[in-house]
Amino acid sequence: MQINLKIFRYLPDSGNKPHYDKYVMEVNPTDRVLDVLEQVRADNDPSLAYRRSCAHGVCGSDAMQINGHNALACKVLVKDLDSTDITIEPLRGLNVLRDLIVDMEPFFDHFRSVQPYFINDSELPADGKERLQSPTERERFDDTTKCILCAACTSSCPSFWADGKYVGPAAIVNAHRFIYDSRDTAATERLEIMNEATGVWRCRTIFNCTEACPRDIKITKAIAEVKKAIITGKLEN
Amino acid sequence: MNASTVRTVQKPKPNYETIAWKWMRYSALLLIPLVWGHVLLQDIIVGVHRIDLDYVALRWASIGWRTYDTLLLAFAFAHGVNGIRQVLRDYIHSPAKQKWLNWGLLAFWVVIVAIGGIALIGGVRTIP
Repeated sequence: MQINLKIFRYLPDSGNKPHYDKYVMEVNPTDRVLDVLEQVRADNDPSLAYRRSCAHGVCGSDAMQINGHNALACKVLVKDLDSTDITIEPLRGLNVLRDLIVDMEPFFDHFRSVQPYFINDSELPADGKERLQSPTERERFDDTTKCILCAACTSSCPSFWADGKYVGPAAIVNAHRFIYDSRDTAATERLEIMNEATGVWRCRTIFNCTEACPRDIKITKAIAEVKKAIITGKLEN
Repeated sequence: MNASTVRTVQKPKPNYETIAWKWMRYSALLLIPLVWGHVLLQDIIVGVHRIDLDYVALRWASIGWRTYDTLLLAFAFAHGVNGIRQVLRDYIHSPAKQKWLNWGLLAFWVVIVAIGGIALIGGVRTIP
């Protein structure tokens, strides 16, 4: 099939303004958008810059806007776009470093700010081995363990576009993962962080993040659960 | 599989954001009967075309209706002001300016509700 491809291009310090390069290409309907980008780089322009790593929807490197929707280029098939006009742009809300590559550092700063690691300084169990958890307790935060930090959610959030200080959906998802872990003991500290003016209260519940998540995490629900935990101090397992 | 349990952790100290969020929800709960009551009475039971000076005088004669209207004004306006606060927060990023915004809007709400409350409950002086 033939497609009309438009790709955002920008090289800071080159003197050129941001612009779109256009290509008319022959592709297979079952090609992924990442395959199309690879084809452009191989056949048309080797200077096209984008992130990719595993190419199988696990590493989260190739999140970008495809026809206005945030997605992983390696998970979207050309035939599923329902259009032969395809526009590819970098994620919104993060500065473009080059072409489709954005500066992820502010995103990771927010991620780090919620203490996204296991905290429990109490004595180990008598046998000196692992802290046990029931299947129900593990199930409680299963959904939020799926995050691959691709930034598709945070960069689809208008509250984040308006104020980059807002920690954003991905950071809240990762806070949720540890707040609801029955073995972790730092829920109060994380709830304090979430309760700040840059925390969960910036969420307007518009579900952009849930729609954008390539792992189908119920992000807006997780944010609502963190809000509820702040108000009630109760963590239902 | 274990039955579900509830863990209790220390709640963060309420701040302006927490109070505003709760206020938005609790005031909405109160707004539902107030607004529906108002719409049902004025638009359906009485009907907008039958609202005249006599009807207004009749309502004004009851302290209950005057209190009802004051509560409706207070909760509806609080809801709107909190919405404005959320929108303006997208454009005002400095914490100091946000603090001014919060307290300024609170004062705005108090002044408008006070003026409305005085007019509604206090009533008007009849011209002799």
